[in-house]
Amino acid sequence: MGGETSGWDRDQGTPVAAKLVSHLESLPAQRMVRISMEGVERMDASFASEAIVEVIGRYRKSKGLCLVGLSNSAIRLNIDLAAERIGVPVTVWSGKEVEVVGLRPSSGNKDALDYALGQSEVRAATFADVAGISIANASTKFKQLWEQGFLMRIEGAADSGGVEFSYQRIG
Amino acid sequence: MATCMSLAECIVELPNGWVNSWTFEKALIKCGDALGAKYSMINIKIPAGCKLMIDVIIRLLSFCNQAIACTKRIRLEFCGDTMGYLNRMGFFDHLAPAAEVSPARPFFSGAVIHRGGNRGLVEIEKFSGTDAVERDLVPRLVTAVERGCAARSDVKQIGDAMYSIFGELVKNVYDHSQTSLDAFAALQTYPQGNRLTVAVSDSGIGIMRSLRPTLKGGRWDNLSDVDLLVEIFREGISSKPECNRGLGLKSCAKHAIGFKADLDVRLLNQRVVLKPSNNQYQPNMAYSQEQLPLLWGTHIAFSFKLG
Repeated sequence: MGGETSGWDRDQGTPVAAKLVSHLESLPAQRMVRISMEGVERMDASFASEAIVEVIGRYRKSKGLCLVGLSNSAIRLNIDLAAERIGVPVTVWSGKEVEVVGLRPSSGNKDALDYALGQSEVRAATFADVAGISIANASTKFKQLWEQGFLMRIEGAADSGGVEFSYQRIG
Repeated sequence: MATCMSLAECIVELPNGWVNSWTFEKALIKCGDALGAKYSMINIKIPAGCKLMIDVIIRLLSFCNQAIACTKRIRLEFCGDTMGYLNRMGFFDHLAPAAEVSPARPFFSGAVIHRGGNRGLVEIEKFSGTDAVERDLVPRLVTAVERGCAARSDVKQIGDAMYSIFGELVKNVYDHSQTSLDAFAALQTYPQGNRLTVAVSDSGIGIMRSLRPTLKGGRWDNLSDVDLLVEIFREGISSKPECNRGLGLKSCAKHAIGFKADLDVRLLNQRVVLKPSNNQYQPNMAYSQEQLPLLWGTHIAFSFKLG
């Protein structure tokens, strides 16, 4: 944050966002990035939106950005409000606990997301088996969650020879 | 509490004891439209024992400066110790120089002498919606809150919430007031540390005039002012088309609700008080007074009961 530990106002968030984007662009091969919130004291919702949430939204599907070390409940609330406002899910890790704030999954996709968050990597077939639904249905749920930014996706080869995607939680 | 001496002069007479925003309104109502064309002189009488709440103080300051901007004469007549109290928080530093003060303007600014020295009192912060944003403004206000609440175990959480609330309220003025007249931010903590009021007052075109034209034909267009105001704080409504806007006042409300704060908003001719219910501000818990005398700008105050 340019040496600052707090920020308010969208304009103060703009250079922070630019710096974050610049750093991310210098890591083209990095698919997952953990952004540490350690040492950040305060930010209002407008700053949080500009500096963090909109950057996470911009990299949806291409880079999975998550937050770690977010212990300040006021900052967490502001990130939640900003992310909800623009429809971006933000994955937050607290030790081994993971939670998604901001955009909520649809009720139909919530179980699939909860399952995916409990695994490092999942396939639609596995979740279909666990949830007792068709593979096509499970595949649709994961695809929607990936498109919305809840999960990342990796393309692989299916046993049948076709393409099979696996999905990863962010972080 | 107020009488009309002639067509040209009106007297706003504030009462003894505590003057909250409604008491202040009643004094204004008594003399009709003091800022309107009818009067060229406004005389404000402040008796001994008159104790003005912080949100009233900055509304009064905005009112006086607006009167001067409207080329009216204005005179503040003090009797008793209220002048000393106002002086310590910098009231006269921000009062338009053309405003007359009786018996006389304080020779020294109490705010300069006492700055930061009183835990229960804070100086008024001035800012201009047409100048560059002052980066240190919000941290200074939050430091004052923390000084006033220093004895509380939750002072950090209170400071965190106030940072968000002041940040958004102040920026809202920069974005929407559209006036060169100064805006003011102030707060007051009470000696027991269980009450806190934060207030921001500007002399701009008012939130409704800023917002209404941009809502034409949309889902919010048919709402009454009161209902629209509730939605501004509950849903977040912006005059800008970008989907990421409208967040500011909604986030203020979310932080304030966490402390069960009452919200008081004075619009150009209307005052709305919102009381929290079920962890949010709702239309059925909104109390409004309409057809009030003109007061330019948007004046927002949150009153926290810290328990």
